Amino acid sequence: MSEAEIIKKLQQGNEKAFKEMVEDYQKMVVNTCFGMVHNIEDAEDIAQEVFIEVFRSINKFRADSKLSTWLYRMAINRSLNFIRDNKRNKWFQSFEDSVQSKNALHEKLHSKNTDHPEFELENKQRATLLHQAIDSLSENQKVAFTLSKYEELSYQEISGVMELSVSSIESLLHRAKKNLQKKLYVCYKKKCI
Amino acid sequence: MLQKKVHLSASLNYKKCLIQIQINMKCKILHNKLIFFLEGELPEKEMEFVKMHLSECSTCAAFAEEMQKTLGILEAERSPAVNPFFFTRLKAKIENQESEKASVFWRPAFVRVLQPAIFSVLLVLGIYAGVKIGQPTPQVEISVNTAEADIVSFLNEMDSETIEGFLME
Repeated sequence: MSEAEIIKKLQQGNEKAFKEMVEDYQKMVVNTCFGMVHNIEDAEDIAQEVFIEVFRSINKFRADSKLSTWLYRMAINRSLNFIRDNKRNKWFQSFEDSVQSKNALHEKLHSKNTDHPEFELENKQRATLLHQAIDSLSENQKVAFTLSKYEELSYQEISGVMELSVSSIESLLHRAKKNLQKKLYVCYKKKCI
Repeated sequence: MLQKKVHLSASLNYKKCLIQIQINMKCKILHNKLIFFLEGELPEKEMEFVKMHLSECSTCAAFAEEMQKTLGILEAERSPAVNPFFFTRLKAKIENQESEKASVFWRPAFVRVLQPAIFSVLLVLGIYAGVKIGQPTPQVEISVNTAEADIVSFLNEMDSETIEGFLME
């Protein structure tokens, strides 16, 4: 089914069309959310909320943008809300939850070298380091970087999602990369890994 | 002869210093451009400059390798495994939400009318109880007078019994 057909059938409440849409866009939405929150369980929860929102408000969808653009926007907004709420609740999060979520993240990283635990540990440390560096970026820089690196969107596509000009996106990505490099260099000097 | 040797070593040291300063400057320039070099986003001339410096400077080469490995994590994370139960869970979630909405159809009336009424009654009761507890009771004064009278009779023991009578016991 084409996108227009899917939207039409969704507006009619067709479950088959909804299932097809979820299958087509599940990977994209989960990947985007994962790029923002760095936890696969949270990313899937947020992705489910996105699809529930689509299910409830498909009639409000104006066809002036693509369905994928709309999904990206919702995924980004919900991820940002999740991060803000998480920051507030961080003091109440038990240590076990924090370690468990980090371990779940580390398991996600597929390592071929299962015979080399040092390699796996190094990989885990690099992942943590990278995520902390990405999390330290400003919101807009983080969103632009996530869409560029995790979803490999072009500047044009990112500008459509973020509703900014292409030159603003270029500037955001340039600054994001520079800031990321600074963070990684500081860590390299301190021998974090 | 000695003067010549000293002069030569001084000029060699000076040259080494200059070379080190040049290398440090190049390192600083590279640190600003490395991530763009790794992404292949630099103009050709700058790419050549970075390549040349990386071949000369082991420190920068090591940092470049570290950075490449770290950024390589993005490749690994890019395609998460598709959860086969995602749609099943999603459908269950939607059905749960809809059944919750249907079963508590009376909830809006309760929320809008009864809840504020109950809270108002509780508030009034609470204020009344507080006022009642805070009111002073007159009985306390009578008992104080009685207590005082008892104490005064002990203090004025001398009136009821003379000292001689007390000592004779």
